[in-house]
Amino acid sequence: MIQAQSLTKRYGSKTAVDAVDFTVQPGRVTGFLGPNGAGKSTTMRMIVGLDRPSHGAVTVNGKQYREHKAPLREVGVLLDAKAIHTGRSAYNHLLAMAATHSIPASRVKEVIELTGLESVARKRVGGFSLGMGQRLGIAAALLGDPATLILDEPVNGLDPEGVQWVRHLVRNLAAEGRTVLLSSHLMSEMAVTADHLIVLGRGKVIADAPVAELIGAANQNTVRVRTPYAAELSALFQRADVTVTGTDIDQLVISGVTAAEIGNQAARAGIALHELTPISASLEEAYMALTQNDVEYRTGGTPGDPGAEHPAALPATDLEGSVR
Amino acid sequence: MTTTAPASVRAFVPTGSGLSFTGLLRSEWIKLRSVRSTIWSYATVVLISFGMALLMSVSIDFGDSPVPADAQATLLAQAATFGVFFGQLVVAVLGVLAISGEYSTGMIRSSLTATPRRLPMLAAKAVVLFVCTFVVGVITTVGSYLVAASVLGGKGISASLTDPDLLLPLLGGALYLALVAVFALGVGAILRSSAGGIAAALGIILLLPIVLPMIPAQWATDLMPYLLSNAGLGVFGLNAFGPESFEVWQNVLIVLGWVAVSLAGAAMLLRRRDA
Repeated sequence: MIQAQSLTKRYGSKTAVDAVDFTVQPGRVTGFLGPNGAGKSTTMRMIVGLDRPSHGAVTVNGKQYREHKAPLREVGVLLDAKAIHTGRSAYNHLLAMAATHSIPASRVKEVIELTGLESVARKRVGGFSLGMGQRLGIAAALLGDPATLILDEPVNGLDPEGVQWVRHLVRNLAAEGRTVLLSSHLMSEMAVTADHLIVLGRGKVIADAPVAELIGAANQNTVRVRTPYAAELSALFQRADVTVTGTDIDQLVISGVTAAEIGNQAARAGIALHELTPISASLEEAYMALTQNDVEYRTGGTPGDPGAEHPAALPATDLEGSVR
Repeated sequence: MTTTAPASVRAFVPTGSGLSFTGLLRSEWIKLRSVRSTIWSYATVVLISFGMALLMSVSIDFGDSPVPADAQATLLAQAATFGVFFGQLVVAVLGVLAISGEYSTGMIRSSLTATPRRLPMLAAKAVVLFVCTFVVGVITTVGSYLVAASVLGGKGISASLTDPDLLLPLLGGALYLALVAVFALGVGAILRSSAGGIAAALGIILLLPIVLPMIPAQWATDLMPYLLSNAGLGVFGLNAFGPESFEVWQNVLIVLGWVAVSLAGAAMLLRRRDA
């Protein structure tokens, strides 16, 4: 279990992580999601004591990471892939890491086999592809058979087979009762891998909820309606909490009411409906809706709605941008 | 927050051996021996020294006048430790690289997550570097003595290894090499860059003794014997080549002072800085 209390990191005048509170529970995969510069990596570095918090604290299983007697058995960490001396072979790198905790060489062989590195284990890391470097980083993280795994962008540079392998690996590790925290900017990956999401934006936690709930919140009551009486139908929903957008001459997208309610009201008013489809937003769309105000490096266009702050109650207006 | 653990899964409890200083020593030994720069550096130190010993003993020529017995040991010692003066540059580079290589490749983050208290990692590195360099130093100076003895023996100059006038400078040379490597390790840890660390370490060893005498002030002259490499000459019996200096044990203390300052600075910054 990882617990952060008002964890803060400032670099000069810039606040990378801004008083975040969160708990990462064992037994499930927790995804750490956020745009570039949101503070994911900084937070991960603070968990394992590489960066010192400017304020607040973070503990792993009740203690600061540095207080543990066997840190590598407590937390296995994959930071940005290249935290490995390029002049050393993969085997020697793992052997040197293992030696610190008197982990036997047999365990080194085990993680090499587990990550499929047998054929390159004696080669120098400098010549490794991004994918092989990533596998080596995961091998190092698993070395101490740790209770907690922190993986920063573990699928970066992996081929599809490797991506699937990581997915199964982290799910199995979580099923064994371990705490698994992984970051990714690939929302689609998170949707199939993570059980729970912590979404960061500009150093703040902007969502902390189960994946299903987050997608659900984004899905909430966005319905596509096709009817020859679009104007009449839209007149029925002139309410403050409902947004009606005409997307075609006979098509409306209505947010803020359920499909059932629209159907009932239309029936009462005698309006024929040709289509009534709840739109299911992907996690990606939910995520875009959440973070559109918290992207640090935006690629121009579509300015965000300044009102969107809280994910649990996503205002309908926020979804307009994400529903095509 | 909606954070409740699934009740069905029991939290995993880690087991097995923990972090220990002996483990760290073994780890640093694996690290040192598994990069090529170590092998190359040590081989260079040994070969340069052998070459220097050969060169010096070949060039020594007293004609027919016999060398006094007590001067023979000193002469052999000088021939055997002459290469140490060059070897110190190589072990300084090695010492810097032992830590700067970790910073430049990102390895330091792996090392520090394994040793989050940090200082034991630096201490283990210093111990391993010291011991390895001392052993290589002994091989270097004793080997160089054998080279020099084989040439000078023909010129009627010889001394037994058990002669303290010979043995102490040989061991002093090895000790000095080991201390310079650790000094450079500290410099590398302070600067965290290979280029910067090597420039600074070599600057202190090589440039300071050249630049300081250019300052036309008495304090500059007074400081000369306290420079790392000048005190070093006194440690391995080449004081004749340096400024007027102290007793051997005083020179050892001066060198230890340099090492202590460098390591203390490194330790303080390692604790404080983000990695």
